[in-house]
Amino acid sequence: MHTGGDLLAIEPGAGVLGLASVGSVDSSLVVELGAVVLGLAVVARLARRIGLPALPLYLLAGLALGQGGIFEVSATEDFIEVGAEIGVILMLLMLGLEFSTHELIANVRRTTLGGFVDLALNFPPGFVAGLILGFDPVVAVLLGGVTYISSSGIVAKLVADLDRIGNHETSVVLSILVIEDLAMVLYLPIVSGVLFGGTALDTTVTVAISLLAVLAVLTFAYFFGERLSAFALSQSSEALLLTLLGGTLFVAGIAGRLNLSTAVGAFVVGVALSGDIVSHARGLLLPLRNLFAAVFFVFFGLQVDLGSIPDVAVAAGVIAAVTVVTKIATGWIAAGRVGIGKPGRVRAGAALIAHGEFSIVIAELGIAREGDLGALAAAYVIILTLVGAVLYQFSDSITVRARKRRHARA
Amino acid sequence: MRKVTESDLPGVGVRFDLQTDGGRNVGVVAHQTGRRDLVIYDEHDIDRACESVVLTEDEGHTLGELLGGSPVLEHLDDAVHRLEDLVISWVTIGAKSSLAGQTLAEATLRTRTGAGVVALVSESGSIPIPAGTERLEPGDTAVVVGVPSAVKAATRLLTRAG
Repeated sequence: MHTGGDLLAIEPGAGVLGLASVGSVDSSLVVELGAVVLGLAVVARLARRIGLPALPLYLLAGLALGQGGIFEVSATEDFIEVGAEIGVILMLLMLGLEFSTHELIANVRRTTLGGFVDLALNFPPGFVAGLILGFDPVVAVLLGGVTYISSSGIVAKLVADLDRIGNHETSVVLSILVIEDLAMVLYLPIVSGVLFGGTALDTTVTVAISLLAVLAVLTFAYFFGERLSAFALSQSSEALLLTLLGGTLFVAGIAGRLNLSTAVGAFVVGVALSGDIVSHARGLLLPLRNLFAAVFFVFFGLQVDLGSIPDVAVAAGVIAAVTVVTKIATGWIAAGRVGIGKPGRVRAGAALIAHGEFSIVIAELGIAREGDLGALAAAYVIILTLVGAVLYQFSDSITVRARKRRHARA
Repeated sequence: MRKVTESDLPGVGVRFDLQTDGGRNVGVVAHQTGRRDLVIYDEHDIDRACESVVLTEDEGHTLGELLGGSPVLEHLDDAVHRLEDLVISWVTIGAKSSLAGQTLAEATLRTRTGAGVVALVSESGSIPIPAGTERLEPGDTAVVVGVPSAVKAATRLLTRAG
């Protein structure tokens, strides 16, 4: 098997040529980029040290580097913007790789009620808050999406870090997360259609076309996913990486062109791939995903004016508090349905509190329309990832204390 | 065979749970990657994994052997296990069966149905690849192999009258 060896087999002369072309790029850009990435490295180490997800800290880093922040990046902004787009695409591709179409369908059949409760309890708080804050209805729908969707990335990591994969409630939690991710496949094209469409008729047509396109691709994936995967598989990891990255960017780009949202395009590619290619692809793409996802969160933070955070802090805190309650209720009901005891039901709810990558992806769509949405979503996500991580970690001691108190009273 | 419950863990694998006579709950998380977690549940909070041991695929097999290499998988699917288009079935020989008490040679099961008896299991022990002189005693179990229709026909002959 070929490894990275191919890359190193460059003719001696080519090195000189390569150096010359690199030299023509503004070197201050490279320095700035290096400084930004190094800054993120420090942040990631810090997050690991204190045992919290790195995502909220990346957002904070972005805020600090943006307008009104401590240090404004200017030279690298274009690069970061492109990097951020690639970050979203890679996040969704990796998420799609986790599932096959067959698994998704089986899961939807099993967890319909839990998924419905989740939507019914967690979408309205954001939507209503958006209307109260005077956003236009489309932006309020986006805020509803922000509060609806938990972070499958952060939750999966918390579950693994705390050794709770074997817990009974974990299957409920994971199933709900899958339904949420799947809901995004319908939600993102609809909101993109509404955001970028013109008249009511135009919008309806755009949305209808996009939903049909998603269905068509998923159907194709259901029947031909395995053959496609076998075709794309290559013995050379370099060739495989280029195929995956090129293919995904291409499909995502076309999806974006059709107002389907690039994110959905990438997710569908991930779902369509199955079999041997998946484990190879995960290994190859993970480092790239980590890099560009971090860039995406920084980019989001960059777009938010630090000065507007205090104005939205109270609103973000209130919506976050409501979400803590509604997500715990969701876990309580869904886990109760399958006969899980009270402590497990609390854990299921606490696991669902953390919000992250998807909330930011959704808010990003509306940031041009409503500047405050960016600041609100950033503050909201930072609060909930931290609160969620802490509550999930300590949910057992909370229920144990409650039990002891009851015993003491009895 | 004990009841094993199965729960899907989307994106991770499958979890199997078992309750012991002693009232303890144990489970196995079978990851898609081949990793196995051996899980022991808390006595007071039966949904909580209080101990979880990570095993590689190899270690999982070894532990399974140590615990008595059981035919769990065969029993999961209602005592019928499919191998490509062949079926293995564990059939308890009925007292009313016309074949009860006959030797395998007399019963001519393979000629009549196309399915063969590859083992006989009784309380006194099991006989792999039984000879034609072995008897089909009521209450014993015959392990029958063949295509699904043949196994179905053989099962009918071994369990019902007529």
